[in-house]
Amino acid sequence: MGFHEGLGSLGFSRSLIRLSYALEDSTRYRRVKDFLYDLLENPRARVRPYFDIFMILLVVSSVWLLIYEVRNDLGLFDNIFEGMAVSIFILEYLLRFWIYNESHQIILKHYERAEFINERFRVWPALREILAKKIEYVTSPLAIIDLLAIIPSYRPLRFLRIFLLFRLFKLFRYTRSISEFVKVLSEKRIELLTLLIFMAFITFTAASALFFFEAQGENTEITNFFDSIYWALVTMSTVGYGDITPQTNEGRIITLILIVAGLGVISFFTSIIVSAFSDKMHEIRTHRVISEVERKHIDVILCGFGRVGQDVADRLARDKTPFIVVEPDEKMFRLAQQKGHLVVQGDAESSDLLEHLGVNGRASRLLCLTGDDVINVYITLSARQMNPGIEIISRANHRENVIKMQRAGADHVVAPYEVVGLIAAEYVGQPVAFEAIYALITGERDEGIETVRIHQSSVLDGRCIGDVNFRERKLIPFGVVREGATQLESNPYRYDLHGRNFYFNPEPDFVLQAGDFLVMFGHEFSVVHFRECLERGTL
Amino acid sequence: MSGAGYALIDQCAILVFGCSALGQAVAEQLTSRGYPTYLFSNDMDEVSDLLAKGFDAAHLDYMDDERLRAVGIGKRVKTIFCLFSEESKNVFLTLSARALEPELKIVCVSESSVSSRKLIAAGASKVIDPYEISGRKVHELITRPMIVDMLEQTVFGKYIDIAQIEIPENSCLTGESLFTQELKNHKVILLGVVDIELSEELIFSTSGIKHKLDAGDMLVVIGPEKEIARLKEDIQHDRKEELLGR
Repeated sequence: MGFHEGLGSLGFSRSLIRLSYALEDSTRYRRVKDFLYDLLENPRARVRPYFDIFMILLVVSSVWLLIYEVRNDLGLFDNIFEGMAVSIFILEYLLRFWIYNESHQIILKHYERAEFINERFRVWPALREILAKKIEYVTSPLAIIDLLAIIPSYRPLRFLRIFLLFRLFKLFRYTRSISEFVKVLSEKRIELLTLLIFMAFITFTAASALFFFEAQGENTEITNFFDSIYWALVTMSTVGYGDITPQTNEGRIITLILIVAGLGVISFFTSIIVSAFSDKMHEIRTHRVISEVERKHIDVILCGFGRVGQDVADRLARDKTPFIVVEPDEKMFRLAQQKGHLVVQGDAESSDLLEHLGVNGRASRLLCLTGDDVINVYITLSARQMNPGIEIISRANHRENVIKMQRAGADHVVAPYEVVGLIAAEYVGQPVAFEAIYALITGERDEGIETVRIHQSSVLDGRCIGDVNFRERKLIPFGVVREGATQLESNPYRYDLHGRNFYFNPEPDFVLQAGDFLVMFGHEFSVVHFRECLERGTL
Repeated sequence: MSGAGYALIDQCAILVFGCSALGQAVAEQLTSRGYPTYLFSNDMDEVSDLLAKGFDAAHLDYMDDERLRAVGIGKRVKTIFCLFSEESKNVFLTLSARALEPELKIVCVSESSVSSRKLIAAGASKVIDPYEISGRKVHELITRPMIVDMLEQTVFGKYIDIAQIEIPENSCLTGESLFTQELKNHKVILLGVVDIELSEELIFSTSGIKHKLDAGDMLVVIGPEKEIARLKEDIQHDRKEELLGR
């Protein structure tokens, strides 16, 4: 008999292990489970909001039907709708039950450990662990609410219909603001508990005293202890319906005391709630902004909303390029908010914040534009460590820090004061040429430098520069940028641009190729017109 | 710097007021190009800091017109820079200096477009907003990195220069049209011309204005250093074949 039993459990455990390995290997299983996780649990998944909205609508309409049905008969439609809603709830409950943990991995963990220490694998401890996990799920508050939303639909339990209102509590699952509210309050549970005990004490004392004085009187309104508890709470909360009023002088004195105590309780309660939220407001706001950054896939992070940061933010906003501002200073933070930028208040030096904003993956550009070189170097360095591929543009206020920024990993360094120095020197030396230089640096004039890309199948592909009458179009061919180093060339006016070649003022017989960038000088209208002609092929 | 020291300030000297990081950056650039530069501030600590770094710096109460006159404003000095970090100081200094010398070139730094307007009203010849320029550059680095890279490496790097060349009396270039002038024999680009007699405004050669060149006009050209030097020489010696390619 013992032998048979052992064999049976051996066969059972064998097939269990085989099944677990099969599941571990199956990509299909993985994909289905991942999808369900995204749908039901993952707060960052894209499908999640749609699912949440659907469930909210379902809950609200089923509760509304329940209320409507009290007075009206809807017949078949109601039954069908209710049946559908309940099946969805049941399905959801079971799916959540399933994805709560990875049961096959528990089995494999136990099995592999047993193999490792050369012991016989025993099924029961593994199954017990799985069961414990599942029970953990079933007893979690949200799962209980889910269950309560389903159970009263079962006919024999119709008397529990009032519990169908529990469905409204399901909304906790689907709306972040409600769950945040609960979270905030739960952090103040000690204060709330103190208040509750205090309130219970006052209510009980006042109710007993009132009962003592009033219950024996003649035309009394208090017939039992529940009446006096009811009266105490109504009075203390400052609601005061007035359906029960004290008739004796002693009773009135108790009322006066209770009213004063009630004011204290109410203000205590209010202050707890207010302080809970003001403590948490910053965190909630940051959390909100970060989740918006994730949802909208914002990949430009601007650190520091100083003068340069503001200017860049304005320009990006004009381009409709989405970006997120990080600014520690309260005043600047408010300014950014007023201007309508997406902004989070915090130190960009904090790696946690940078990580949340996606520096280690999603983000493609980081702009370190604070007024402090030390902070900029620090941000640059930590961001570069997190993500070797991200493009970092840093601001250096002192010239000697430009090299440090580059060493810390900045791709480009912008030095506001050095630019002024350069402009100043040109202004003093060549006041006339200065205008042209200023136009090139600041782009304030309408004339400037623009590039046009020569596409495959463009009319200019394979043509000479001299074939185009730039003069007539009021343009000057400033140069050509060509990808890749083209063998050894004798052109002395070829300059190296980080792996690209720049040919300055090309000769008329210079042949253009697809992929070239034609750099032109001229009025912006001329360039726009040129581009248009090039697109249409009417050059 | 003592009173005797002021006498040393000669005609081409440049005075920089305000000794913050910005003042230093400007003074560095100017000194490296060989302009005698003097820094002034009313903050003793800043001045001693700069003296230690080897700059010609002195303490000066910019609110006192007599002192300003003593350092040469209204007499020899042609250009001053107002680079205080506080806008009010810059406005005050600009007003005082403009009152002393109507011809003085006053370059100011500003914090925003609003203060730029105030400084212009106070009499500044040129207002530079370093933050706006930097903001623009960051934006350009994002939107068109190639152009920024190209300008950095060539025009503002070591390869290509922008220069101004004056057309002398009786040059063969007089009477030529700017619009058709290409300077084919030189590897330079003619960006434009300034007719000093008319205005200081630069007429870009792409603007389409049919401007006839004449003596005294300033050509603004861009190109490699050697070619610009060659062009300058050819214009100086009025080498017709080289210039007009005929």
